[in-house]
Amino acid sequence: MKISLNWLKEYCNLPVSFKELAEQMTMLGIEIESIEEPGKEIENIFVGKILDIQQHPQADKLVVCKTDIGKGEPLQIICGAKNMKVGDKVPTAIDGATLPGGFKITRRKMRGIESFGMMCSGAELKVEEDSEGLLILHPDMPIGEDIKKVLGLDDIIFEIEITPNRGDWASYIGLARELSAYYNVPLTLPKIEFIEEEKTVSSVSSVTIECPDYCPRYSGRVIQNVRISSSPDWLARKLMSAGQRPINNIVDITNFVLLETGHPLHAFDLDKLNENRIVVRLAKDGEEIRTLDGELRTLNSNQMIIADAIKPQALAGIMGGADSEVDNGTVNVFLESAYFDPVSIRRTARHHNLLTEAAQHFQRGADLEMVVWALNRATALIQELAGGEVLKGVLDEYPKKIERKTVKLRYKRTEKRTGVDIDKNFQKSTMTKLGFTIKDENEEEVFFTVPSWRHDVSLEEDLIEEIARFYGYDKIPNTIPKIRQSGAVFDTTFKKTHRIRELLVHKGFTECYSWTFSNPDIMKQLKFSEDYLNMVFLQNPLSKNLSTLRTTIIPNLLTTAQKNHLEDTLSVFEIGPVFIPDVKNLLPNEPQKIGILISGIAHPRLWCYDRRQYDFFDLKGVIEDILNELQITYRVQRLEFPLFHSGQSMRITNQNDELGIVGKISPKIAHELEINENTYISELNLEKIFKIISKKKLYKTISEFPSTSRDLSILVKRTLPVSDIFISLKSIGEGILQKIELFDVYTGEQVPKDKKSVALGFTFCSEERTLTDSEIDAVMKQIIEKLQKQFDAQIR
Amino acid sequence: MIEELEQIKESALQKIKESDSTDFLEQIRVEFLGKKGKITEVLKKLGSLSPEERPKIGNIANEIKNIITNNIQQQYQVVLEKEFQKKIEQEQIDITLPGRTYGNGHMHVINQVMNEITSIFIQMGFQVASGPEVETEYYNFESLNTPEDHPARDVHDTFYIKPGVVLRTHTSPVQMRVMEKTKPPVAVIVPGRVYRVDNDASHSPMFNQMEGLLVDEDITFADLKGTLMYFVHNFFGKDTAVRFRPHYFPFTEPSAEMDISCTVCKGKGCRVCKQSGWLEILGCGMVHPKVFQYAGYDNEKYQGYAFGFGIDRMAMLKFAIPSINLLFENNIKFLEQF
Ligand SMILES: [Zn+2]
Repeated sequence: MKISLNWLKEYCNLPVSFKELAEQMTMLGIEIESIEEPGKEIENIFVGKILDIQQHPQADKLVVCKTDIGKGEPLQIICGAKNMKVGDKVPTAIDGATLPGGFKITRRKMRGIESFGMMCSGAELKVEEDSEGLLILHPDMPIGEDIKKVLGLDDIIFEIEITPNRGDWASYIGLARELSAYYNVPLTLPKIEFIEEEKTVSSVSSVTIECPDYCPRYSGRVIQNVRISSSPDWLARKLMSAGQRPINNIVDITNFVLLETGHPLHAFDLDKLNENRIVVRLAKDGEEIRTLDGELRTLNSNQMIIADAIKPQALAGIMGGADSEVDNGTVNVFLESAYFDPVSIRRTARHHNLLTEAAQHFQRGADLEMVVWALNRATALIQELAGGEVLKGVLDEYPKKIERKTVKLRYKRTEKRTGVDIDKNFQKSTMTKLGFTIKDENEEEVFFTVPSWRHDVSLEEDLIEEIARFYGYDKIPNTIPKIRQSGAVFDTTFKKTHRIRELLVHKGFTECYSWTFSNPDIMKQLKFSEDYLNMVFLQNPLSKNLSTLRTTIIPNLLTTAQKNHLEDTLSVFEIGPVFIPDVKNLLPNEPQKIGILISGIAHPRLWCYDRRQYDFFDLKGVIEDILNELQITYRVQRLEFPLFHSGQSMRITNQNDELGIVGKISPKIAHELEINENTYISELNLEKIFKIISKKKLYKTISEFPSTSRDLSILVKRTLPVSDIFISLKSIGEGILQKIELFDVYTGEQVPKDKKSVALGFTFCSEERTLTDSEIDAVMKQIIEKLQKQFDAQIR
Repeated sequence: MIEELEQIKESALQKIKESDSTDFLEQIRVEFLGKKGKITEVLKKLGSLSPEERPKIGNIANEIKNIITNNIQQQYQVVLEKEFQKKIEQEQIDITLPGRTYGNGHMHVINQVMNEITSIFIQMGFQVASGPEVETEYYNFESLNTPEDHPARDVHDTFYIKPGVVLRTHTSPVQMRVMEKTKPPVAVIVPGRVYRVDNDASHSPMFNQMEGLLVDEDITFADLKGTLMYFVHNFFGKDTAVRFRPHYFPFTEPSAEMDISCTVCKGKGCRVCKQSGWLEILGCGMVHPKVFQYAGYDNEKYQGYAFGFGIDRMAMLKFAIPSINLLFENNIKFLEQF
């Protein structure tokens, strides 16, 4: 909302500079978006009167003018405009003048004839968007007057933003009321004077309210024989300072009164109302109205309209109807001023997507007691500017009186809540200055009646806020509270997740952070199974691509791989929730998952490294490290997963529960996505993993006795999973076999085609004594026998 | 025999003198002093001497043995030193070659900032709480004193899932979930993703917020100011100015917005702060009595404050990141900068 400081000062005399005022408004909660000084750069431009216009002898498109600026001889000025005539008054810049933007005017020769200044267009002075020709001023403007004064450019325009609770600030009087209270200066309201006819308004029109819950109060006046014309300069300029375009005097007056009072008014052409009367009612389902914007709107029975005897003539409090619009032929006007229920206005405005200026005011709550004042203010202006006869009396239907609220303030409570002891009298006087009246009081407390414009106040805390605001938030001290906990714990995963994040970062991984949206079509292209396509859908997505919530992080990782396909190596991960619908619950499950992707060469391209590509075991190793760090026991199994290479993918399980998957991207999908074929992906379900971390780390004795190692190389069937060997040796060794290392796996020329050579290193140690060779030999013998028997192993 | 021994001594000393490696010295030791060495051979013949001569020759032999041993030891030190020198000369490298590294990983800048902020508040005594991102309208709006027809809902362009279910538009619903679980005192911070229907150069449909809630018997607005001031001074630096302006939120009363002096121009006025010298970074206030009513807390007995701010915005300010969208594009060249 744009606020002109000059205009604001018409209602209260503010004793501070505009900068201090802006600062103080901010500290009162009136947010200032920007401050404009329209005339800041304009200098030495005056009202000039054109005395003479002659064709320039050297140029067809130029004329030579003589312009009187009230000082010395008239100035000779060369001009290219066409729209002026002798006698017109125009803004005239003299030698040395400055235009907006800092543009300097100096005397100069144009085609051989000297020009001593410049006559300006509206655009050049930034008072119009664009101009055709000079700005012709009103004939009454005094010659020689500073143009800033004449055009109201010696003004400050505040662009302010008003929070939804303070609808009362959305007007000049409302703001002035707040500021006059703060600065302790009187609020000056304009005098309202007009002459009423003998003839009464009720003899020509009437108002009926059929829905008092929606419209507690409706008032109107009739003004006959008005002359529709354009508005005078002062009015037009005020509307323009608010960013509005003048239309005609009647409409402009209603808009002006809206800006001034915050109270939306509407003018009907009385002669276009059937039976010249007003009925405030709910629409019938399917009833139609063509609103002023030209749209034909279908109504329903929750929507309030202003009707005449037959049909809707306005969408109440939102927009007038085209059929009863005031136009150049209008003679008799019915002027409306009403109070409409905020919720009803809000619903209807949203339904029609028509959040007009009026609707915005009404939905924040208008001032019920301002209804007739605003009506009379507009009536007076109409009589002044459009002539007309005001019929006697106001049609004021007020079927539903709304009681003013009373709120109690305990003085002590202010200190308890704010932490600062604010003087009792300050508390009381703040509230009374703001228009609250004292209904009752004693030493400890006071009961205030809330003014009709303050819909936001209903609790003691609301009063405390007012007091704190006026006291100054900046004067309230800054203290550090003593913080206590109840003992309840509200999160158990934040730290654990962070530990994993740090582990991966230490391993050289880079963390990604994606939007959690997904696209089921892309999921299908990636061959995700039905399980993954059971998704949470958004009702109002931004696009198809963002239409669901993700059930896996893998597509995000693949997108990252695509985006960074020019990198020769990638090792990235992302931790975050996925969203799994739960038929038994209103809300989906949101397990945390971690996705990891490696791709390209395993080492950076550096003098000391080979150019080895990442392989499956690089990623498997990372996963093992994570699980070992968390002390999770797990098994791996082959996995069928269409996104993955069927020979290089696995599932990780604990007690048959899947903790995650690891695999190489299938060559087909890598080809389709145009990403490196050597891309390996894993996804782990952290929720499940965190649930099974239970073992605490406990100290284990470090043996003082030396350990002994034995190596063993065996030939086994090529297809035998090495993990089977480890499982079979699990219970062997009577507590002295400490560790088995797999230090080589060989297939090739040295061994038969269907065999592989597996080399194992065994470490023996006891906590009680030095082991003897014969003890160790005995265990080795057991091992060998077991391997021979179970796997038909040959010792090499 | 004495002569023989003298000859052995001379030849040994000569050989020792000429030796230039520890290996060779070891050979010399074996040759002369070993079990089958030359001195030993001579001593074996002692038996053939007269009892008077035996000790005399024996003494001489031992003396020579000692001389040779000492010489070997001395020369050993000299040769060893030389060998070290030689080793060092042979092992010269170009120390300007780059080191063998996989490169450091990079935690996402949002999480770096989230951790920093979280630890500041944890230090003060808060604990982390979390809640669902798909949330009921009850928790997201209604219980926070924002009923369906409340104009404050206009500023939350909400993603809807189904009737009564939304993507949370702020982290505030976790306030209510926490309060439902325990009686005061409550001191939590809630970092998390939030969602709004908005996507342009300065808005992302998903972004991150941090919520704070402190409820006890005597928590005041002054405590709110002090807490947030402490946070700002720790996060942005002690020279950062802070101001609190009255504002409006349905779930706090009194409410405020907090500005900090512009991190770019230090308060002088620039494009980033729209010439005001201030940057708005946070909304806060005393918990609204209606919210306590929903939580089942006695408004007469308990009071507290709540605040909420954008983590992404903090990260952008701290690292001078010009656009929020950079945060979620996962461009490696961006991620590796932090
Ligand atoms: Zn700045």
